[in-house]
Amino acid sequence: MATSQRDAGPDDAGGGPGSRLSILVVRSGGLAGISQQWQVEPDADAEDWIAMVQACPWGSVGRDDAARDRFTWRIEARMPPRLRTASVPESELVGPWRALVERVQEVGARG
Amino acid sequence: MFTGIVPPYLLARLAQSEAPELHDAAMAAQKTLRHDEPRRARLTFSLDADHRLVAELSDAPNRTISDGHGTEALPGTPVRREGDPAVKDAAVNEAYDGLGATFALYSEVYARNSIDGKGLPLDGTVHYGTGYDNAFWNGERMVFGDGDGQVFGRFTSSFTVIGHELTHGVTQYAAGLIYKDQPGALNESISDVFGSLVEQYAKKQTVTTASWLIGEGLFTKKVKGVALRSMKAPGTAYDDPQLGKDPQPADFAHYVQTADDDGGVHINSGIPNRAFYLVAHRLGGHAWERAGRIWYDTLLSGLKPTTGFAAFGAATAAAAAARYGGSSAEVAAVRAGWSGVGVAIDGDVAA
Repeated sequence: MATSQRDAGPDDAGGGPGSRLSILVVRSGGLAGISQQWQVEPDADAEDWIAMVQACPWGSVGRDDAARDRFTWRIEARMPPRLRTASVPESELVGPWRALVERVQEVGARG
Repeated sequence: MFTGIVPPYLLARLAQSEAPELHDAAMAAQKTLRHDEPRRARLTFSLDADHRLVAELSDAPNRTISDGHGTEALPGTPVRREGDPAVKDAAVNEAYDGLGATFALYSEVYARNSIDGKGLPLDGTVHYGTGYDNAFWNGERMVFGDGDGQVFGRFTSSFTVIGHELTHGVTQYAAGLIYKDQPGALNESISDVFGSLVEQYAKKQTVTTASWLIGEGLFTKKVKGVALRSMKAPGTAYDDPQLGKDPQPADFAHYVQTADDDGGVHINSGIPNRAFYLVAHRLGGHAWERAGRIWYDTLLSGLKPTTGFAAFGAATAAAAAARYGGSSAEVAAVRAGWSGVGVAIDGDVAA
């Protein structure tokens, strides 16, 4: 699935609201095709979150070409100046990916 | 006349019979007994005009329903196999009956023996995960969640959903449409079309009495909505404060560009869904007979994995021309259907 790592633009660097750590999780697909999303912008325990983000294999997400109607998870971690994004098929949402997503769902605001 | 699954002892007696009037029945019974696995064919008896016994062999499903026990481990524990009586668990029986109804549509209407056309066993797992809001095809089996109880109930509760999932298997074997963008939306739409036809065929509905809804009754009563999708009126299935509004477009001018959902495969399927509805409605009667036949012929016509809406529309017109003639009412209905959703198809439909 699509994965990218890139430096965010100048607007994301330095101080201000754009410099905050934020993690977005979007679940799309499924038979119903109803998307849901959750987001966190942690303050206090940022180091724990950064460790969870860094534990994920951003550069090597597996594929699931046979499945139909399963969920797709888009995960975006903004750690200025860096933005990491990955599109993770449901069957690959295991280990550190699953831990990160479940933590975001647990404490994050639902959109 | 009686129809049904014949117990092995009766088959064995029939197979040994040397009575001339039972010759056909004896041969059919012997053929059934030679199958490696029992009960995969259905033996039907009737009397002809001269009161002779006529025995006919037809395809029969080979279902196994397993219980995931609330885990995500597949396949789970087998709890009802082909021919077993109903169990106490409603989800198991719904899956068993839904797979049977889907097998019946493909076998009786389109002469297709199961997912691969060669009698592939139908394997389903119910009670997958905890509060799992989905049903899916994993490439080998159909998997059903129980829903969270707040928004969704059991995903086995509608024949349209079970038919939808099994049809993903049929499309995998017959056409291999990639699961992204327009080919993905067609893949989804084909599952909705035959999922709806499973329900219509089981209930013997006409194009006017059918609901044309996918997943009717899946939402709990708390949700403002009747179903997941409407083929007749895409975009109208639900409008709920928590879920939002059904995002399906009803025509190509409103095609949704998105990176999520594999390029909106469950959203843009509304366009070919409504094209099918328009074709079926124009032809009238039972949708599985002519509109469904045209779509089934198209599915087997050698579609490229990257087929888009316009090429698929052209293929349906070609399939209608091949079966009913180039100047037939069926071809006119197909053209009007695609035109009705704003998809221009090729001019040449000569078979």
